[in-house]
Amino acid sequence: MSDQPSQTELDALLEQAVRRHGVGRDALIPILSEVNKSIGYIPAEAFGKIRRRLNTPQEGLFLADSHVFAVASFYQMLSLQPTGAHVIRYCESAPCHVVGARQVLEAIQDELGILPGETTRDREWSLIPTSCIGVCGVGPVFLIDQDLYGNVTPDRVHEILDRYR
Amino acid sequence: MVKFKLNGQLVDVQDGLTVLQAAESLGISIPTLCYHKDLSPFGGCRLCVVEVRGARLPMTSCNLPATTGLIVQTESPALTRYRQAVLRMLLSNYYDASYTRNNGSTGLDEHSEFARLCREYHVDVSQNMAPRPLRPIDSDPNPFVWVDMNKCIQCTRCVRACAEIQGRFVWTQAYRGYQARIVAGADSTMLASRCESCGACVAYCPTRALDNKMSMTAGQADRLVRTTCTYCSVGCQLDLNVKENVSGDQVIRVTSHHETPDTVNRLHLCLKGRYGYEFIHSPTRHTRPRVRQHLLEGGASGNGRSKLVETDWDTALEIAARGLSAARRTHGSQAVGVLASGRLLNEENYLLNKLARQVLGTNNIDCSAYLYATSVTDGLIDSLGLPAMPTSFEDIANNASSLLVIGSNLTEQHPVFGARIRQAVLRRKLKLVVASPDFVNIAEYAALAVYHQPHREAALVNGLMLCLLEKGWHDPSVATSHPTRFAALQKALESRTPRWAAEQAGVSVEALYKSADILAHHRPSAIVWSVGLADPEHGQSNVEALASLALLLGDLNKPGGGVIPLHTQANLQGACDMGARPGWLPGYQWCSDQQSRLKFEQAWGAELPSQPGLPASEMMRQANAGRVRALYILGEDLLNSTPQAAAVRHSLEACDFVILQEPAASETTRYADVVLPGVTFAEKTGTYTNAERRVQLVRQAIQPVGKARPDWQIIAGLAQRIIQFEQRRFHTAYYAGWDYADSDQIMLEIARLTPIYAGVTHARLAHSAGLQWPVTSVQDPGTQRLAIDAFSIHREQLA
Repeated sequence: MSDQPSQTELDALLEQAVRRHGVGRDALIPILSEVNKSIGYIPAEAFGKIRRRLNTPQEGLFLADSHVFAVASFYQMLSLQPTGAHVIRYCESAPCHVVGARQVLEAIQDELGILPGETTRDREWSLIPTSCIGVCGVGPVFLIDQDLYGNVTPDRVHEILDRYR
Repeated sequence: MVKFKLNGQLVDVQDGLTVLQAAESLGISIPTLCYHKDLSPFGGCRLCVVEVRGARLPMTSCNLPATTGLIVQTESPALTRYRQAVLRMLLSNYYDASYTRNNGSTGLDEHSEFARLCREYHVDVSQNMAPRPLRPIDSDPNPFVWVDMNKCIQCTRCVRACAEIQGRFVWTQAYRGYQARIVAGADSTMLASRCESCGACVAYCPTRALDNKMSMTAGQADRLVRTTCTYCSVGCQLDLNVKENVSGDQVIRVTSHHETPDTVNRLHLCLKGRYGYEFIHSPTRHTRPRVRQHLLEGGASGNGRSKLVETDWDTALEIAARGLSAARRTHGSQAVGVLASGRLLNEENYLLNKLARQVLGTNNIDCSAYLYATSVTDGLIDSLGLPAMPTSFEDIANNASSLLVIGSNLTEQHPVFGARIRQAVLRRKLKLVVASPDFVNIAEYAALAVYHQPHREAALVNGLMLCLLEKGWHDPSVATSHPTRFAALQKALESRTPRWAAEQAGVSVEALYKSADILAHHRPSAIVWSVGLADPEHGQSNVEALASLALLLGDLNKPGGGVIPLHTQANLQGACDMGARPGWLPGYQWCSDQQSRLKFEQAWGAELPSQPGLPASEMMRQANAGRVRALYILGEDLLNSTPQAAAVRHSLEACDFVILQEPAASETTRYADVVLPGVTFAEKTGTYTNAERRVQLVRQAIQPVGKARPDWQIIAGLAQRIIQFEQRRFHTAYYAGWDYADSDQIMLEIARLTPIYAGVTHARLAHSAGLQWPVTSVQDPGTQRLAIDAFSIHREQLA
C-alpha cells in the first residue's frame, strides 16, 4: 500500500501505534516503522502528528519536526517517499560490493528499467540502496519486502523477481 | 582533585573536567571546531585530538574525562599531521564561492574560525576545497540568516545552539553517509521549522555557512563597541560592529561575545537585539533642529501650526526655553509637564527630573510608557515596599522549581530570558504555569496553560490564593511575618470560594486547584509578569494581588523564589530609579517627605514642590482640559505607542507648546512646535538599568548623525536657556549648576544624591558585567538579592 492515506486513516494508525509503543523518546522508531509498514512510507503530515503526540517538555522531551525527520531520514528501512508495491533493498556496503553486488544491481536495473531510489511507472517496484543488512557471509544480498536473498547472481534476478509478479 | 601528566608536566585540576577543559584552565590551547564551551561536547570534528599514553589512536580531548594517571601530549608532529589531514578532509566537501567581500575585494573568507585554523595549520583552502559547489548558495529565504551549506562542515554547533540556547530545534543532522547534511525541520525552510531568527546559529557557526544576511557585503568591522541592548529590560550585552567611513561611521552588524563573564546573555541575543539595528541609520533621522516657522519669525505660540523649518541649535533651544517659560509664568508650574522615557539613559532621566523640579518647579514628570498602562512595579511598592525585582534572572533560571508566568508573552517580549526559562524546563524540569487570555509561545513548555477571560487576572490570582488557603498549602509563617497584610487578605477573601473565583476568571476550578498545587509543591516558586496585566484600570490591583500570592507561597526571600516584574523598555527601571515619576525623587525618595526633599533642595539650591505631580495619563487629560499648557516629550512616539492615539492627539493639539525630542521623525512629530534631534543608543555614553536592577554601560559607537546631539546635552542646554531667560538665581549649592562635561559627571552627581546608586561609576561598570543596586559604596559589589523586609520603601510612611 502506498497511496496517500486520509487524515483519519493516519490518525487512527498513529493512535494504534502510540497505544502499542507509548510516548517516550524510545517510542519514536517503533512508531515510525509502524507507519512505514502500513503505508509504505512516512507521509510529511505524519511528522507533525507524531511530534504532537510525543511532546512532553515537562518530562524533558521536546520534539520538533527536525527530530522526527532526522530519525526518519537516517534509517533506510524507512522511506520518505511513496514506494512501489514491492520494495527491493540491495546492500551497497563493501563486503557485498567485492563479491559482485554491482553486477546484481545492474541486472535489477535492466530488469525493471529504473535507477536506485526510483519506483517503476506501474508502481509495482521500488529500488532502494541500503547499508549492511548483516548477512555478509552470503553476499551479494538483497531484501524484497521482508524476504532475504543471498548469494545472488545477475542471472537469478529475473527468476526471483518473477515470484512477486 | 585530579592529577595527571600534561605535556610532560604533572598537573592538578578540579574534578569533573574534560582533558580539553583541564588544558584550557592551565592556559594550554588545543584547536577545536565542533567544540564550544557553551554547548554540550560532540566529538565530531576530531581536531582536538591528543596523544594519550596507552591508547592506540589519538583521542578527542573535548569528551575525554581528565582522570588521575593519564599521560597526555597536546602537540607533536604526528598530531599536527593528523589535524592537517582532518582539515583537508573537511575541505574536500567545502566550497567557498568567494562572495565574502573583505574591504571591498572579493575573495575567500579569511575571517571565519575555520579559515583561521586552516591558515594556522598551513592548509591551503583554495587548493583543498571542493572544485565546485555541491549545494545551492543562499539556500534559505530567512530574511536575517544567510545559509550556504557549501561551507558547512557538519560540526553541528548550529544544531546544539538552537537546541541548547534558543530551545527551538530548527536545525538537525539528517540523512546518512554521503547524503548526511544539516537541514532545517523536515528538510524545509528555517521559518517553516520554528525559527525565531535569533541568530544564535550564526553566532556559533565556525565557518560562516550561516551568516548575517543583512551585512553579507559590509566587510570586516574596524572596531567593536561593547554596549547594552536598547530593546527590552533584560539588558543583553552586545558589540556594535562599526565601519569607519569618511561620510560618517556606520554600524554594519551586531555581534555577541562571551569575553565578559556573567553577562545576562553571553553569546545569546534575540531577533531584535541582533538584527534590529537599522533604525540607527534610518533615512527618517532628524539631522537638524526644527521649529514652527511662525515661532522663528517672532510670533507667539498658539498662532496655529505653521510649517516645521530647520534651524540651528541656539535658535531652537532659545525658542523651546521661551515656550516652556511662557507657559509656566502665565499659567503656573502645574501647567507644564515632562514626559521622560525608558529609552533614555539614567543620566538623562536624572537630568529631566532635575529640570522639572529645580528649574520648572513642578513634579509633573512621568514616563510616557505609563500613559496607557500602569507600572509593573507600582503595586509592588505599595504592597511589599519593592520598587524592582528583588532577585536576578540567573537565580530564577537556575533555582526556581515552579514559575507562574502571567500577563507576559515571555519569549517575544523578553526573548533571552524566555529562552533561559525554556531551558530550565527541559534541563531541570522547572514546572511552568502559564496564565494568559490567549496562546503565548511559552505555553508550549507549560505543565499547565490556563486561558482566562481578558482582564480577569486578579480573579485568577485570588482563586489561586483561595486554593492555597483552603488546602492549607500556604506558608504558615506569613501570619506572623506580615500579620496585617495576612489579616486583610483573609478578610477580603473570607466569603469567597475557589469555584467563585474560577467562574469570575473564566477558567475551570480544576485548573485553578492544579495550578495552585504545582506552585505550592514545587518550591521555590516564583512569579513572572509583564505589561499584559498592567492595564490602567486593573494594573495596580493585579500586581498587588500577585504580591500577596508571592507572600502566601513564602519564597520571596529564598533563592529561586520571588517576584519578577518585567518592564518593556530597556531603561524603564532606570527611569523610575532616577525620579522620572511624579512622586519620587531619585532613588525612591518621596517628594512629600521633608527630609528627602531637603536633601535635594540643598543640593540643587532651589525650593522643590512638595506634592506629587501628575502621572502621564493625567497630564494628557489636563492638557485636553486646558490646565496643562506645555509639554516636553522625549524618546517616544506617543501616537504610535498608545492604544488611544485619538485622545493623545487631542491633548497635544490642545497644548500651547510642545517640545519633542526624538531621534527620528514619527507620527507625533507633526504635533510638535519644536523638534530637537536626539540620538540613538549608539551615539551616546551612559547607563541603563535592567529589570533585575543591573546598571550597565551604554557606550558611544558612532558620532551623532547630522547635527543631532546626545539627549543629556540637549536637556542641559535647555535648562541653561530657561535659567538665563528667566534670570533665575539658585542658592549656592554644589549641584545647582548645569555644566556637565560628560555623562560620567552626571553619574557622580546621581551617586551622591541616590543612596542605592552611591557606588556606581562609569569606570567601575567598564570593567564588570554591571552592578545590581543597591550599590552603597565604591567597594560594594552590588546586591544580587534584595532582602524583602530589610529593603523596603513606603510612600505612606514617608509622607
